[in-house]
This record gives sequence, structure tokens and C-alpha cells, in this order.
Amino acid sequence: MTGALIDLFGWSYALASFLLWIGAQLLGLGNWISLQLGAPSPGPLEGMIGFVTGAPLTSLVAIILAINILLLWATAFHLLIVMWIERKMYSRLQDRRGIMLGLGSSEILRNTLGRIPLIGRPFRKASHLGTGFLQTVADGVKLFQKEVITPASADKWMFHAAPVMIAASTLFLFIAIPWSDGFWIMGSRLPNGDVVNPWGVLVILGAFSVAPLSILIAGWASNNKYTLLGGMRAAAQLMSYEIPMVLSIIALVVFAGTLDPFQLVRQQSAPLTFGLGPFGTVQIPWLPNWYIFNPILWIAFVVFFITVIAEAERIPFDIPEAEAELVEGWTTEYSGMRFGIVFGFKWLRAIAGAALIAILFLGGWSGPVFAQVWIPNIASPGNLWPIPILPQEFWFTLKIYAIFVVFVWIGWSVPRVRIDQILNIGWKRLLPLSLLAILLATLARGMGWF
Amino acid sequence: MDLEVVAFLILSGLEVGAAVMTVTAKKLVHNVFWLAVTLITIAGIYLLFLAEFVAWIQIIVYAGAVPVLFLFGIMLTRRKIMEEPHESQ
Repeated sequence: MTGALIDLFGWSYALASFLLWIGAQLLGLGNWISLQLGAPSPGPLEGMIGFVTGAPLTSLVAIILAINILLLWATAFHLLIVMWIERKMYSRLQDRRGIMLGLGSSEILRNTLGRIPLIGRPFRKASHLGTGFLQTVADGVKLFQKEVITPASADKWMFHAAPVMIAASTLFLFIAIPWSDGFWIMGSRLPNGDVVNPWGVLVILGAFSVAPLSILIAGWASNNKYTLLGGMRAAAQLMSYEIPMVLSIIALVVFAGTLDPFQLVRQQSAPLTFGLGPFGTVQIPWLPNWYIFNPILWIAFVVFFITVIAEAERIPFDIPEAEAELVEGWTTEYSGMRFGIVFGFKWLRAIAGAALIAILFLGGWSGPVFAQVWIPNIASPGNLWPIPILPQEFWFTLKIYAIFVVFVWIGWSVPRVRIDQILNIGWKRLLPLSLLAILLATLARGMGWF
Repeated sequence: MDLEVVAFLILSGLEVGAAVMTVTAKKLVHNVFWLAVTLITIAGIYLLFLAEFVAWIQIIVYAGAVPVLFLFGIMLTRRKIMEEPHESQ
């Protein structure tokens, strides 16, 4: 009764058993041939077949498959979609259509599929079918083909280590972020069916906090004034915005009493309930219990939203790469797929930040209350079970994209803030606000309000 | 051999090696990088002790914040920030 579409470990275990079964069949064929050639009775490969089909190897392959499936889902799939959303969205904000070249524009398609009667009708004329989605794929292919240039005076070892560190810390984020009750890597399933991961939010914060070091090293190792300045700015900004980010999460954690993303989402999937201390509780059944609706925690939400934009180096806070003054900042000297990594993984950090916002404040993968069918629970009469109409992954992805659209909207509407303004916003506005949120959350928890 | 022992040997070997490199590396930024490697492997050893909370706090505080502060100190105080290009070569 979880409503999750994908049971990642179940699927990957089935896939691993299937792959290993094929291997065992091949080994069995070899065994049969060697038996025909006169080998002694059990055959030379019998022990190997037992090892290949055994439980330990199957679980190991299943775990590796699960990690790969989740990382490919997060990086390859969502990265392309989010890049496309950004390009289309800011083009509309600038009153143009943006990238439009797609499958329908290609002559090959017109000459092959278009020739087929009836079915080929939409391909017969040049059209904007796909509205430019393949442009992001083409850009990726272009980056793969380009030469990787190492500057002559760069610190070569560090120069190539920095993208690895950035990629590793960003992918580690996606290991810790669950996508639904069934689509997760880090966690464990209790006997009653609930999934727990007691330090999940802490792991995500830890993975976020490794980025400044690798960016600073990347900027230094390129041995270029612009990259060094960009790296310094990036590290200063990321370091100073991490403090209000963590403090606003502490306000939420003090209020919610858990660092477990699954537990946070379970708490938020109930109808909205306010405790009014001695006056009882008020329930609003048509709103979910998201922490953004909480009279105190929306302060933490505002702080957290701004700091996530800064952590992802998105446009109001993009002085680290300010293309007009610093020529893309700390990424200047990278080329080819090295540039693809340092550039694309910024989008991935934005996706991870949006996912974190969704989990902490917007109910994660729980759908809105009106999108659920309530059926009576047979096991315990009088209780109602919520059955979501759409799977949890749908709601979570929808929330991530919606938050990302707001990122793009803010990014292409406001001008870039200067370095002194960034420090003022960070230290004089966000830090006191997050401390206020902690204070109010502690008070509310202590008095039993909200 | 037990998998945990293997993991401990790998992590501790990395840690000791990185600690030696922290002391012996010639450039200060390399020293800080190896210091970060040392601290992250210590977090891995905490994970082997099943002390998850300490491990993640170790990564947040020591791997995330302390080396960056060192780097800032180095870069803001030295007069010659970058190495001069080798003119003899």
C-alpha cells in the first residue's frame, strides 16, 4: 500500500538474477561440451555455476545495478529534461521560442517515415516535432567529441582531480535522495513496510558541503587569474550560504523531530493540522500537512529556497562564473567533457536542491490530499487508507520540475547581485532569519503550538 | 578474510598515506587536498564503527569546512598567489 511505482531493489534483483541466469546457461553449455569431450562426471564448471547463481553474487550485482539505474535516472534522464526546460523557459521569458530544431526538422525522417502512407502524415512536412528536445542531446554529443585541453602551466594532477571530486560529491547526493517509498538506494525497510534512513538529510548536507573545496581546487589548479577569482568567489559564496542553509534545516528538524526523509514525507502526507496548545487542534482536511504551510516554518522555507539557489550557483547568485567579467569563472580552462562535467553537474546540484526542497517543505512524493482515494481499512475498522491516484514518482518529479521552473523564473527576471550584496544578504538577512526560525520552532515545540 | 577487515585496511592505508603526503607535499594547496583526503577516510572508518552520525558530521565539518578555511588562509595571506611560469623551459 505504498503507492510507489518502482520497487528499485526488487526490480534490480530480478534483472540481476536474469543476467546471471544467462551466464549460468552459457557456463552449462561449456560444461556439457567438456562432458562430451570426456571430462569426469560433475564437469569442470559445476562449481562456477553454483557460484554464479548463488545468493551472494546475485545481491552484489543487484546492488550495483540499483545504484546504476538510479544514477542514470537522475543524471541522464532528468539532466536532459531540466536543461530543456531551462532553455525553453528563459526563451519564453525573452518573448521568443528558443530551440525548436527536432526530429520533425530532419530530412532523413521526412524521406523515410514520411513515405509510409497514413502513419507518416505528421512527418511529411518540416515541423517542430519534439520542440528542440534533441538539442540538449546534440550538445552533449558535441562535448564528448571535443578535445580535452590541459593548460601548459596548470597543476595537471589537481586540474584533472577536481572534476572527479565534483562528480563524485554530486552523484553522492543522488545516492542519498529517495524518489519514492520504493525508489531509493540509502535506507532500510522495516518489518512493518516503512522505509527508514535515520541520517538521510545529514548525508545530503554532507555531500553538498564537499563542493566548495573541489571548486576552489579547480579554480586554483587552472593557474589563471579568472579561474582563481571565480573559485575564490564560489567558495566564499558556498561557504557563507551553507550556514543559513543548515540552520534553516535545523529549525525544521527541531520542529519535525527527525532527520529521516521518509519519516518527514510520512509526516507531511497527513491533512493539515495545527496544535493550538491549550485550545486543542485545528484540522484543515483539504490541505496537506506540508511544512511550507506551517506558520513558523515558512520562514525557514524562504531562507532555504534562497540558499539552495546560491548553492547551485544559479543566476542571481552566479558571480562565481559571471560570464561578462570573469569569462565563466572557475570553469574557464576546462574543455571537452571536463567542461561538460563541471557545467552539467551544476544543473544536477540544482535538481538535488529542488528535490531537497520538495522533501523537506513540499511533502516529497506524497500527492495532494484531493488526489487520493480514501478506502476503509479492513484490518482496523474505522480507519481510512489513502490510495494515491497517480504514483509517487510522478508527484515527486512534478514538484522538482515546478521548483526548477521557479528557479529559472527568478534567475532570468532579476539581475546578478554584487559580491558585497551577496555577503549582506547572507550574513545580515538570511542568518538572523534562520536563527529566528530556530527560536520560534523551539518555542512552538516546547509549548505544543502548531 | 572478512569484508570489514578489507575495508578497514584499505581506508587506513589511504589515511596513513594521505597523512604522510599532507606533511611531505611541496605545494600548500596539495597539502590541504591530502588533508581533506585524510579527513574523509577517517569518516569512512567511523562508518565502519557503525557511528553514522559522527561520520556525516565529520564530512560536513572537517571535509567541507576546515580545508576550505585553510585554502582561504593560504590564498589570502601569501603575496605570490600563483606559481610563476617556468621561464627556463
